[in-house]
Amino acid sequence: MTSYRLPKGGLIDRQSPLSFRFDGKALSGFSGDSLASALLANGQRLVARSFKYHRPRGILTAGSAEPNALMTIGSGGRTEPNTRATMQELYQGLEAQSQNRWPSLDLDIGALNSLLSPFLGAGFYYKTFMWPGALWEKLYEPFIRKAAGLGKATYEADPDGYEKSWAHCDLLVIGAGPAGLGAALTAGRSGARVIVVDEHALAGGSLLAETASIGGATAAEFARQAIAELESLPNVEVLTRTTAFGWYDGNVFGAVQRVQKHVATPKDNVPVERLWRIAAKRALLATGTEERPLVFGGNDIPGVMMAGAARSYLNRYGVAFGKRAAVFTTNDSGYALARDLEGAGVELAAIVDSRADAAIAWSGKARLVKGAFVSDAKGGKSLSGISIWKDGKSETLDVDALAVSGGFSPIIHLACHRGGRPVWSDTHSAFLAPTKLNGLSLAGAVKATSGIAACMADGAAQASALLGELGFKVEPATFGAVEGDIAVPAAKAVWSIPGIKGKAFVDFQNDVHRKDLGLAVQEGYGHVELAKRYTTTGMATDQGKLSNVNAIGLLAEARGVSPADVGTTTFRPFYTPVSFGALTGAYHRDHFQPVRKSPLHDWAAKNGAKFVETGLWYRSSWFPRDGETSWRESVDREVRNVRLNAGLCDVSMLGKIEIVGADAGEFLNRIYSNGFAKLPVGKARYGLMLREDGIVYDDGTTSRIEENRYFMTTTTAYAAGVMNHLEFCSQALWPDLDVRLSSVTDQWAQMAIAGPKSRTILQAIVDDDISNEAFPFLAARDVSLFSGQLRGRLFRISFSGELAYELAVPAGYGESVADALMDAGKQHGICAYGVEALSVLRIEKGHVTHNELNGTVVPADLGFGKMVSAAKPDFIGKAMVDREGLVAEDRPQLVGVVPLDPAQAFRTGSHILAKDAAATLENDQGYVTSSCYSPHIGSTIGLALVKRGSQRHGEDVMIWNGLRNEYTPGRLCSPVFFDPANEKLHV
Amino acid sequence: MSKYRLIHRPALSDKQPFNASGIGLTALPEGHVIHVLAEQGADPSAMLKGLAEQGHSVRYAAPGQWYIVGDEPLADDALAALLTRLTPHAEGVDQSHGRVRILARGPMVERVLAKGSGTDLALSAFVVGRSTTTLIGHIAAHITRVEDHAFEIMVLRGFAESLWDDLAQMSAEFAA
Amino acid sequence: MASLVSCPHCGSRPKEEFTVKGAALKRPAPDAGQERWMDYVYLRDNPRGAYEEYWHHTSGCRRWLVVTRDTATHEIADSRDAALGVPETRA
Repeated sequence: MTSYRLPKGGLIDRQSPLSFRFDGKALSGFSGDSLASALLANGQRLVARSFKYHRPRGILTAGSAEPNALMTIGSGGRTEPNTRATMQELYQGLEAQSQNRWPSLDLDIGALNSLLSPFLGAGFYYKTFMWPGALWEKLYEPFIRKAAGLGKATYEADPDGYEKSWAHCDLLVIGAGPAGLGAALTAGRSGARVIVVDEHALAGGSLLAETASIGGATAAEFARQAIAELESLPNVEVLTRTTAFGWYDGNVFGAVQRVQKHVATPKDNVPVERLWRIAAKRALLATGTEERPLVFGGNDIPGVMMAGAARSYLNRYGVAFGKRAAVFTTNDSGYALARDLEGAGVELAAIVDSRADAAIAWSGKARLVKGAFVSDAKGGKSLSGISIWKDGKSETLDVDALAVSGGFSPIIHLACHRGGRPVWSDTHSAFLAPTKLNGLSLAGAVKATSGIAACMADGAAQASALLGELGFKVEPATFGAVEGDIAVPAAKAVWSIPGIKGKAFVDFQNDVHRKDLGLAVQEGYGHVELAKRYTTTGMATDQGKLSNVNAIGLLAEARGVSPADVGTTTFRPFYTPVSFGALTGAYHRDHFQPVRKSPLHDWAAKNGAKFVETGLWYRSSWFPRDGETSWRESVDREVRNVRLNAGLCDVSMLGKIEIVGADAGEFLNRIYSNGFAKLPVGKARYGLMLREDGIVYDDGTTSRIEENRYFMTTTTAYAAGVMNHLEFCSQALWPDLDVRLSSVTDQWAQMAIAGPKSRTILQAIVDDDISNEAFPFLAARDVSLFSGQLRGRLFRISFSGELAYELAVPAGYGESVADALMDAGKQHGICAYGVEALSVLRIEKGHVTHNELNGTVVPADLGFGKMVSAAKPDFIGKAMVDREGLVAEDRPQLVGVVPLDPAQAFRTGSHILAKDAAATLENDQGYVTSSCYSPHIGSTIGLALVKRGSQRHGEDVMIWNGLRNEYTPGRLCSPVFFDPANEKLHV
Repeated sequence: MSKYRLIHRPALSDKQPFNASGIGLTALPEGHVIHVLAEQGADPSAMLKGLAEQGHSVRYAAPGQWYIVGDEPLADDALAALLTRLTPHAEGVDQSHGRVRILARGPMVERVLAKGSGTDLALSAFVVGRSTTTLIGHIAAHITRVEDHAFEIMVLRGFAESLWDDLAQMSAEFAA
Repeated sequence: MASLVSCPHCGSRPKEEFTVKGAALKRPAPDAGQERWMDYVYLRDNPRGAYEEYWHHTSGCRRWLVVTRDTATHEIADSRDAALGVPETRA
């Protein structure tokens, strides 16, 4: 027990104790603690085992870059692995488990890996496990996966809710530290719409760890008042616990708000996380800096901590990180900590400053050693001492805590998300953001400004300038005098430390140490992108926030070049890990995708329909009756009944488009390959639509309702696509035509009434005369229904080959009309039929659907050659449909196929081979596009696209299914199995 | 079949109104929705203004397109008369059954809709009377700001139940 | 994750409201000849930089647009209604 809670101080509420558990052990903290600060307050230094070597690890940071203190929080469906203890707020009853250890954190068998470390260096995957290859999947990979790793996800469903939201603002301020608050206060007072995001529970950033004062108030109190002012402004939204994780096109920022990740029991109906997409006219990055570790031996032993983090635990949480501490620094930042430690009564043994010429004045009690380095830290599960190296000599100092500062890396990630590359600055020993960022500016420490007053002033100035660009006039806010701040001017970075004996880690999370990088260079992987993959430095959940710049510095030294020449790997979103829950939002389970319901859905349901998802629609598939034991039994019965009596099928999902305008006829003439100019009012016509490349796109019927008003139907699958296509043609290709389109798919409930008794049944509700003479095949007219109670549209068209109609009625009346037809049809034996029976009926009749119109066929392939008008000067597809390849002799053509033995069946997708040919690619003659059991024929029948198929009726072939190794002797035939003379259509 | 009692079944007949302090959702009566399509280059604004002055609610839809909406169903002759009034520079298409309207009202309405739509709906950017079509989650809908804190949301009938369920979920945090 | 496309009729909207069709090319005359048509249907430039594309504001005003987009940065320099036409780009 070496870290402990101080008797006073910190922004915690000592009146509100909270109990929690770590690896089952009962501990306590206070409201305002992070899990990390509470663990430290309890003297719990050992919190994790490292990824590869299972080394003991402690808490290194106080923020989102934490590489070590990853824990599994919660239980059951709320289990969340890899939670950074530094970012997790403490709550009553919190359960945390350490990871990557067995059987326990204290006694971890995996630590034996450390003994194998000579074999586990950089590239060990590639070297050790190369041969024999067969062992990789069986042995090596499972072993490595078990031994190395982070937390485990739960298999239980997450009970919590997530959501997404858009937000819009004039100015987005990212980070509410000194610069961010300076900017936000300026912007807030301008009246502009402002959003401020900060990833911590408490806004204020580095001010919360400060002992400096601003205008007489403590820095933390200043931050509290600033946030209170911002929250009182109606034009400002402050989002705390919100991490801006990405900068996207159009100046949209992604951010994730942890709405209820800090409470024991989340409220129902309130999401636990909310994903924001913030469209900002301007944005200001005020994300500050990340303090860099130093690469010395044993720099990962629990008790070694970043200096700024130690200061944050001291001042914000009232926790001392050790009883006898030392500071190792390359810059002035260590002195602020040193001063505060002594001020809080923590024993400070020494300050080790790498600079021989350090100019800062030190008046504290601790010994100051200039021009010296900590070459090694000692200890196992807790730090026991350090070796100080100076001018070739080493001395040992007993300490239980060591704070380190290797300089500062501006947190420029977001500024690089849209392709800009970081720029190395020798002056600042840091990578700075690219310049000329359209819509995004930087303020404060992130652009290497140092000191609280300077950062606040810079934020204020930047906000004023950005809002000025948008037409808001506002003076930069000014603030009271800052007292007691130790500004940290840039200092030269130290990459290689002399005298190292132990393992010196560069990347803590991935267990990459100094020698691994040397090895990478030695073996030819010195390029930064290669070194990353060869050594794994900068990978995994922290993406090298602490390690990347040190790795680059060491690579640069090893290669004898500047870090500028090494460059960085690419910064990509997300800045920190984002849960799948947040990315999914509310769109899962019942809300995964919309459901589109037919107006006849409830009619189908009450008639017992089994539904099938077709795109977003739920279509009725078949309507089982009592005693029917298989879908086939129901479908066969429905098919027979339609051919014998009549059936009613919901076809509301067909795309329906009303086309009006003086040039509507001409437009249709250009859209369809066949002629529409002469279609009379009151008539429907089947039409084929091609793509510009000559391939069939879609089919359907279009009816002329009035002189300049047409009603088009499309297939269900292509309804949206056809509407988009028609709009494209009318708007982009022929804007001079007067044609206007309205999608009426949802306006009409449409039902097919098919079968020899369909007219009799329909006549019961239709007032108009629909005799064959008055309403012949392809008639299409508005009709009066129920003695003038309702108007509908009646079309005499047939998909089944039977006498058939389609009746469209206003959707709200659909169910009632369908009920009436079922009533009227009862005495005539009407049945409801679904899309399965519809499909059998159309295959029997040889009608094509998108099974056949599959993006490879031209009209002639389907026997529709005459539907390609030679007379029309232009239509979509005309120029290309006659191309050489599309008129070739051996084109696949539509043909029917039956098994020689009616007892045998075959499947859609089977290939057609010549009778005695082997199943080879060269012998492939085509394939079955649709198949079903035909009650009419009494066997399986199919439609197929077969080379020269139209000339091969009667030829015996082999139907081969290579996936199932099924061979079915068959015969090609006409694709029209039912009523080839079309007599039934005209009765 | 003169005696047959035709029943009109509203798309949202199964949904209970959602009432909360922050937001309320109400299915509006399935009255009338006429899609108005102007001839290219024609300016029917005077005609539309005349209709608005007579109490019709006219909503902008897209360049050259509007919706005339109302809570009362139009009988065949009234519909025919209205369609005739649109000519010669515009045509109407009856969408009274094809579109369903939902009223979302309450101080949190902007916040609720922001969960689905990327359109900036701040009062300063989207004033009362303005309309647009936008995605709400995965469903396209035509929205009109009818009051400072109220939007009329019009959606394809087939998606009405799904959109209602989404809106109810988006509103849930503002209940109680 | 996110990006915005400007519509000349509706303003700035999430790209999810749009459908992109590809290069905004002028449709040849029906008798322009096989070569010209092959070009129109199949051949595309693949520039780094400004590119004119047809975008459809599918979940908005349903107008087809010609959007000038930088293929490298995704910056949109211009967006106009497709009815205004596209220039003849290839001989």
